[in-house]
Amino acid sequence: LPAGLSQWFPALEVLDVSGTGLAELGAELLALPRLHTLLAKNNRLGGPGSLPKGLGEAPLGRSLRVLNLSGNRFAEVPPALLGLRGLQSLSLGGNRLHGIPPDIQELRSLEFLYLGGNFITSIPPELANLPSLSYLVLCDNKIQSIPPQLAQLHSLRSLSLHNNLLTYLPREILNLVHLEELSLRGNPLVVRFVRDLTYNPPSLQELAGRTIKTRNVPYAPSDLPENLVRYLSLASNCPNPKCGGVYFDSCVRQIKFVDFCGKYRLPLMHYLCSPECSSPCSSASQSSTSQSESDSEDEASVAARRMQKVLLG
Amino acid sequence: FRYTRNLVDSGNGKFNLMILCWGEGHGSSIHDHTDSHCFMKILQGNLKETLFEWPEKKGNGEMTKKSERVLRENQCAYINDSIGLHRVENISHTESAVSLHLYSPPFDSCNTFDQRTGHKHKVKMTFYSQFGERTLCVSTRLRTHL
Repeated sequence: LPAGLSQWFPALEVLDVSGTGLAELGAELLALPRLHTLLAKNNRLGGPGSLPKGLGEAPLGRSLRVLNLSGNRFAEVPPALLGLRGLQSLSLGGNRLHGIPPDIQELRSLEFLYLGGNFITSIPPELANLPSLSYLVLCDNKIQSIPPQLAQLHSLRSLSLHNNLLTYLPREILNLVHLEELSLRGNPLVVRFVRDLTYNPPSLQELAGRTIKTRNVPYAPSDLPENLVRYLSLASNCPNPKCGGVYFDSCVRQIKFVDFCGKYRLPLMHYLCSPECSSPCSSASQSSTSQSESDSEDEASVAARRMQKVLLG
Repeated sequence: FRYTRNLVDSGNGKFNLMILCWGEGHGSSIHDHTDSHCFMKILQGNLKETLFEWPEKKGNGEMTKKSERVLRENQCAYINDSIGLHRVENISHTESAVSLHLYSPPFDSCNTFDQRTGHKHKVKMTFYSQFGERTLCVSTRLRTHL
C-alpha cells in the first residue's frame, strides 16, 4: 500500500484490500484515525510482519471495529492484533490456525468472532472472558472438547460447532440462557447410551477434604499448610441436587443424554461425586438400559425454554 | 446469525418466491419439501447441496448420503420429495452466498432430519422478511430451522 495513504485519505473509514495478493499490511495504515473497517480477505498474509508493529497503540488501533483476515495463511493469531481493545468483529476464517491464544481475552470489545475452517484442536477457557461475545464460529476445525467455562459467555447468542471432533458437550452448556442457535452436525456425538466412563477411587486426601466440606468442619488458614487450604478451596459441588456432596479430583464422568427440543438427544458430560450418586436426570439406576430414553425431564424443559434453535444432523 | 429467508412474491397463493442469504459457514438441516416442487438458483457465491435417501421406516442408523455437488453462480437445481432429501450449505469461510428459491405449491412447514439417526420432526418455516419488510418473531420457544 502506498506510503502516503494516511496523508491523502485521512478521513478513510472503510478499506477493502481483499483479493489483492498482499503479503503484509504495513505501517502506512497506522495513522488512519477514522478507519473502522479493514477487509483483507483472500490475500497472502500470515508470515511475520503481516500486521504493522505498534498496531494497538496507533490511531488505527483505537478506531478499528471490524477486521476481516479470512482466507489468508495465518498459522497463529497475530499477536499484533491482540492490542485492539475496541475491535468488535474479527474474522480469521479459512486460515491455518492450530490454536487460539489465551490472550484473545484482551479483545475486550469483541462481539463477533469467526474462526471457522482452521485446524484448531482446543479452546482456551480464557475465551470465556470476552464479556460481549455474542456470535462465535468454530465450525470446520478439529476441536475435541469444549471447556465448561464457555458457559460463562452470558452474551452468547449463536455458537457454531459443526464439523469438529466432539463426542459430548459439557453440561454447563445448558447455562447459556441467551443462546439462540447451536450447530452441532458433523461431530461424532455419542448416540448410544454410554455407561460410567471412568472412576478413580478417591484418595485419602480427597476423602478427608470431602468430609471437611460436607460437615462444615471449621478451619482457619493458620490451621493447615497453605497447599491444603488451597486444595479445600477447589471443591466442586455434585450436580445432583439431592446430594450435598462435593468432589475434588475424583469424580465419575457420566454422559447423559439431554433431550434439547423433545426430538434431538445431546450427550452432556456430568460429573458426579461417586457412582452411587445418581445424576439429577436419571430416575432409573445406572444399570438400566432404558436410561437413554427416560432422560432429564427437568433439564430438558429448562434447556428447551432457553435454547432457541438446534441445528443438528 | 443464521441464513435468512426473505419472501419476494407469494404468487396469488400458487407459489412462494424467496431469496435466501447465507453468511459464511451457514447451512440448513436435512429437510424434505412437503410434496412441493422446489427450484433453486444461485445468485451469488456457491452452495453445496448434499442429497440423502429417505430414512427407513424404523431406521435408527446414520442416514445415507446419495451425492453432493457445489452449485456455482447462476446454476439451478431442482428437488422434490420423490427425488429425496437434501442439506444446503455455504461452505465458504470467506464469502457469503445468495440463492433464489421457488416453491410450488407454497408450504410453511416441513420435516427436518437428524443425520445420525434418521429421526425426523416437523418444523414451521419462518421468514426473516416479507416483501422487503422485516418479520419479527414473537416465539421464544425452542425451534429447529431449515
